Amino acid sequence: MKDSVAPAAPMTHHATPSGEMYPTAVQLDRVREAHRALYTKRETITADGNTAAALATLQLWRCVLFAGFPITPSTKWMETVAAHLSQQVGGKKRIKLMEAEHAVADYLVGAAAACRDLIFPTATSSVGLDHMTETTRSLGASGLGNVMLIDVYRATANFPLCIEGDPSDTLAHRDDGFIQLACRGKQQIYDTVLQAPCLGMHPDVLTPTMPGYYGIKDSHRNARLVVEPDAEIHAFQDRWIQPCTLPGLVNGDTAFGTCVTSRHFQGFKVSQKRRMERVLHWLPQIGADFERQFGRPGLAFFDTAGFPDDGAVDLAVVGMGPDFGTFEAMREAYAAKTCLRVAGVAMRLLTPFPRDAVRKRLERAKAVVVVNQAHHHGRGHLTLDVADALADLAVMPRIVSVFAGLGGADVSQVTWERMLDQGRAALEGSAMPPWAVFHEGRQL
Amino acid sequence: MSGYKEIALRESSFRPGSTLCPGCMESIALQNVGRVSDNGMKTIFTIGTSCAEVSSLAFPNVVAWGRGDDSPDDFAKSFSIIHNVFESAPTLAEAARDVSDILAEHGAIDRPIQVIAASGDGGALAIGLRSLLHTIYRESRITMVVLVNEIFANTGFQYSPATTPFAETSTTPVGEAQPGNPRLPLDYIHLCIAAGAGLVAQVSPAHGKLFVKTIEKALACSTTAVVFVPAPCISGWKFDDGETVRLAELGAQCGAYPAFVWERGKGGSVKDCARDVAERPRLEEFLGLQRRFHHLVQKDPENGHFKARPEREADLERMRSWTQSNVERLFRLAELP
Repeated sequence: MKDSVAPAAPMTHHATPSGEMYPTAVQLDRVREAHRALYTKRETITADGNTAAALATLQLWRCVLFAGFPITPSTKWMETVAAHLSQQVGGKKRIKLMEAEHAVADYLVGAAAACRDLIFPTATSSVGLDHMTETTRSLGASGLGNVMLIDVYRATANFPLCIEGDPSDTLAHRDDGFIQLACRGKQQIYDTVLQAPCLGMHPDVLTPTMPGYYGIKDSHRNARLVVEPDAEIHAFQDRWIQPCTLPGLVNGDTAFGTCVTSRHFQGFKVSQKRRMERVLHWLPQIGADFERQFGRPGLAFFDTAGFPDDGAVDLAVVGMGPDFGTFEAMREAYAAKTCLRVAGVAMRLLTPFPRDAVRKRLERAKAVVVVNQAHHHGRGHLTLDVADALADLAVMPRIVSVFAGLGGADVSQVTWERMLDQGRAALEGSAMPPWAVFHEGRQL
Repeated sequence: MSGYKEIALRESSFRPGSTLCPGCMESIALQNVGRVSDNGMKTIFTIGTSCAEVSSLAFPNVVAWGRGDDSPDDFAKSFSIIHNVFESAPTLAEAARDVSDILAEHGAIDRPIQVIAASGDGGALAIGLRSLLHTIYRESRITMVVLVNEIFANTGFQYSPATTPFAETSTTPVGEAQPGNPRLPLDYIHLCIAAGAGLVAQVSPAHGKLFVKTIEKALACSTTAVVFVPAPCISGWKFDDGETVRLAELGAQCGAYPAFVWERGKGGSVKDCARDVAERPRLEEFLGLQRRFHHLVQKDPENGHFKARPEREADLERMRSWTQSNVERLFRLAELP
């Protein structure tokens, strides 16, 4: 495209805390009008997790540029997006293939800063996420909540190489500054991708999002998926995503990414922390609105299984990911066999950790078995968070820290039984090690 | 093309308030780029970590960018700048370019936008060579300005892939075992041509008219234009205050970094630098103005000219040989179509 110098014409503008803004410079309605619907009515299809994530991004009118590294084997998100767009003759959406994941992250910074009203998604995994790290940490602090980095959980943050999925990668990136949302199941993946930008782009939050799901178990395995009509999705998102009140590079006279003195660094970081904490206020509201519109559970801090109304249980499990389904399937039988009240929590929001909500949910448990599936040199990422959440209770439940499913191994029913037995032993007063690793029904 | 005087009267987007060293060539270059880009198009500027960045985007000090003293009423005068990590400037620029283009394709914006990226040679040629070459390879319609001071100046004057042979840097110090930088510079001009750039140039504001004309051509280029700006660094090259432009001109004329402009499909030319060594200023006069070469040359008290230090004639001869090959290389590159 060749530029020509247009005759000067007046354009309204106003001051913002981040510089001058020309609100009419970008006519977003034109982008909205150009969107071609993928679905015009609700349908049930069969899809794997990567396809679910790709379809969700393709259905968003604010997604017009899809940047990615072409060879991330854990996710065919890019291939799926490319396949759809290649069929749209005359379509205006574009894919952008970059030479490396680090370049993808840089590209997302430039694109998201250029137009803060569009959503810029990508997908990656494991070392790809590591490769992005220099810039994901800048992104995390940038206020660019219109970046959505879909992470397919994989274990190769560690040696030896393992191509199956545990959440070591995402949990190693807890402090990159992204809102980290864990999904289990294709439907939750699809639904989360639809909701995440509403949270990240909320004016109180302005923080990029990182929806994630387990490699292989959820990324590559198929299941039924209910997809919603694009128009309904747009109606939902448009209730939450208003034009950004801060200027971007295109519609602003502004500066991003300044250097600061240490004195002012404090203020920037406090602001970043506060934006992140506001996620705890807005996430349940977005989730509830989603459920009202689509009739499925929306974003939540966690899913639960088996808690009575008063919350009093003997054993509570805290875990995440699709293996929690095995626990759900055997929970009642185990409770009946042991005459214990057994319940569980599957974390959805990893960062910021919903400390208060977790404490309230677990405050009447006698013992809590925390199942960590990511490598950690201490008691486990989740264990430390749960321990922190419960620390100021007058009577603190006994915390049992276990590791299972490392490297993406299935957590079998017998493994769950052995881990719950560990919790039962804690209830009986047995001494517990700081952590224990279980696999195929055995403590390693 | 606009007139030189007309451009000189334009409003530069590089404003007072930077903390660059007095006499820094980067400041002169950015002021000129800022003026040329005041051409009726809105400007988006991306900048990698570098002297130019840390010295001009420091909050709460003055952010030394923008046109005019107040926010511009005219959208074409508006100016946006973004900094990210060292290597990122071309990628950020490519992203801003793509978003601008895709918005234009949708009919969502109707004003032209130009995108300029700036990096140091460390950011563009060491950490960021991959980013630079791939942005060129993808033919992104941006202008890339690489401020080549031949060192990582911002971080302590360390060696970069653009460092001149025998130059003393903080990581190629001069000692009995090693006479400064042992390596030849990366052939970055050829790399950019080979990667597919639409325009590749090496020119500093010491060649004033050529510089602004080249930047103007770069802004009009339909693919990636890369302008390498030799940027004598008063602190890293260790020369006296007031010698910046003279040194930039002398370095170009003696063959250390000849002025060169090449356009795809049109070929190029070497400017103000003779192919024949006899017709060029003596290399020693260029080296002698900088204390980074103090181990190679010294002033002859008899005639005031610089000459090789005792036992350094062989090194100086190697330096002359490299300079000649440098000049020959650019003359040959200029013949590429």
